[in-house]
Amino acid sequence: MAIDTAMPILVVDDYKTMIRIIRNLLKQLGFNDVDEATDGTEALQKLRAKQYGLVISDWNMEPMTGYELLKQVRGDDKLCGTPFIMITAESKTENVIAAKKAGVNNYIVKPFNAATLKTKIDAVFGV
Amino acid sequence: MGKETSRADEITRVMKEIGTDANGDVAINEILSLAQIMSRSMDSVYRAVENSIQREFREIGSYIENMKSDIAGLQANDLKQTHLPTAGLELDAVVEATEEATNTIMECAEAIMCADAEDHDAYKALVDEQIMKIFEACSFQDITGQRITKVVETLGMVDQRVSRFAERFKIDDAEGHFDEEEAAREARKKDLLLEGPQAKGDGINQDEVDDLFSAA
Repeated sequence: MAIDTAMPILVVDDYKTMIRIIRNLLKQLGFNDVDEATDGTEALQKLRAKQYGLVISDWNMEPMTGYELLKQVRGDDKLCGTPFIMITAESKTENVIAAKKAGVNNYIVKPFNAATLKTKIDAVFGV
Repeated sequence: MGKETSRADEITRVMKEIGTDANGDVAINEILSLAQIMSRSMDSVYRAVENSIQREFREIGSYIENMKSDIAGLQANDLKQTHLPTAGLELDAVVEATEEATNTIMECAEAIMCADAEDHDAYKALVDEQIMKIFEACSFQDITGQRITKVVETLGMVDQRVSRFAERFKIDDAEGHFDEEEAAREARKKDLLLEGPQAKGDGINQDEVDDLFSAA
């Protein structure tokens, strides 16, 4: 099954530079409809206003972290089916287990490369 | 012992002599005499107590004097007014420089990514120009390296002074948190598993993450 590269993707990170890097990598992978949010609260507002095909979020943000955002998304009837990838520097086993329990679809440890991003997106969509 | 007996006799004598006037009042002179005798009778006790108290006070005084000198040795004002603010400014400058360099490098990469490769000569000229800008942007590393070295030196200085003080006075850490703000920050960090980047080798790598994901 091919991935719909026209699907809107929401990238959530409190570092504009990181958003720019992920946006460029996604562009290289063929995804051009990319929106951004700088924390969980803003992301939640955007997710409720528009239907996204994928959320790529950092973990460590204020005031709402990516982990809290994930739990909010999974707890919301309308958003719970949205694929969610965590891209984070939080690389402790308990982080990965907690995110998995909370329903994350995949987990990427920073720093990462384009190949890893592609592999994880493919895995999320069963390619 | 003999001295104490004679004082006791003297007190008994004065007590007997103390008479009352028509109104039943006691003369002030007689009271003062009695007080004087009683006070003298306590002299030896006072002297013994006084010596040990004086010794203790001298020791406490000397301890306080040493502590004052060691606290002064911390040079807390020097740290607070000069070294720590400077270290903070150095780190701010590092963040700014790395951000600026990253943006420059990304701009160059974006320019190459979006360039039209049809015209080979023009494309090569553009790529050469952007690569030169990338090399220039990378020069930030030398300066940020020097700034970080200064910050590490400051941290070393703080560590040295505080360790020396704690060791000198055998100070153990107090239980709990410094203040409520710190307690709240720690609780949030614990609840939301906010650890930040791990030191090399401490965290798990992508392969290990993948193994956790593939495990049932």
